[in-house]
Amino acid sequence: MTETQRRLVADAWAFRTRVEREAAARFIRLATEISRFDPHSPVPALMRRAAEDEHRHAALCAGLAAAYGTAATASANEVPIAPRALGARAAVLYEVVAACCITETESVATLTSLLAEEVDPGVEKVLRAIARDELVHGRMGWAHLARESAGYDVSFLSSWIPAMLSGSVEETLFSHLDATPEDPDLLRHGVLPPSQKRAIFARTLEEVVVPGLEQFGIDGSPARAWVCARIR
Amino acid sequence: MLFRKLFRMLVLGGAAIGANAGCSAAQAQQAAEKKQDARAAADGGTGATQSSDGKADAGSGVQGW
Repeated sequence: MTETQRRLVADAWAFRTRVEREAAARFIRLATEISRFDPHSPVPALMRRAAEDEHRHAALCAGLAAAYGTAATASANEVPIAPRALGARAAVLYEVVAACCITETESVATLTSLLAEEVDPGVEKVLRAIARDELVHGRMGWAHLARESAGYDVSFLSSWIPAMLSGSVEETLFSHLDATPEDPDLLRHGVLPPSQKRAIFARTLEEVVVPGLEQFGIDGSPARAWVCARIR
Repeated sequence: MLFRKLFRMLVLGGAAIGANAGCSAAQAQQAAEKKQDARAAADGGTGATQSSDGKADAGSGVQGW
């Protein structure tokens, strides 16, 4: 492994550490807010458990970052992401869809794809531990969306999906500006080459996220247009 | 195949979790109340429309793996 490869891998795991820490803080906040307007929902309890999972995942990712030579010291900088124009309840739904229905769902696909590759045993152990939990985290978002859509029209979310998608990835992922090399050697250390990352992101969006949103009456056209403009 | 499986496990699995806890009378009443204030939920009771006057108002997403 070259020094450049080692640094890229370490940075990827340090980034994931921060992502996991922020998810923990977000789930705690959302659990409290959902409990206020839907006290019978199973989602807040799932989110509180998910926050504990995310702290554990952060420790696992930080361990790998350290093993590759980088201390993952960045603390969580979790902030509400919903547009100010939305009311409190709609803002919670916006965040749950962005964090769980999109990001956690995409993460499950990424983890599953990485586990299909030949990865180092230490990396595989971490990937397996995280993948199991991320599945539940994605599911709780779809559970909340199902509950909300049973009570009122959630189609207003459709026009916000592109903003959620833009915020879920570095814009450079879809351009020639991505500095990550197409290096298949990084796969065994848990890092996808950009082309593979793009393909998994787009396919998950087209075959899981968008059909899922449409299941609950949210028009998938803006999401499809977003991905088409970047991939094709 | 993988994606079809993910759809089943995540979307349909999640919907089942959400629905199974929503069968009580209290839930039905809550759903009715939700319908009544759906418009208020969407615009915060202000009648506001989606704003496009700045990045903070545009909404964002959550980065993942």
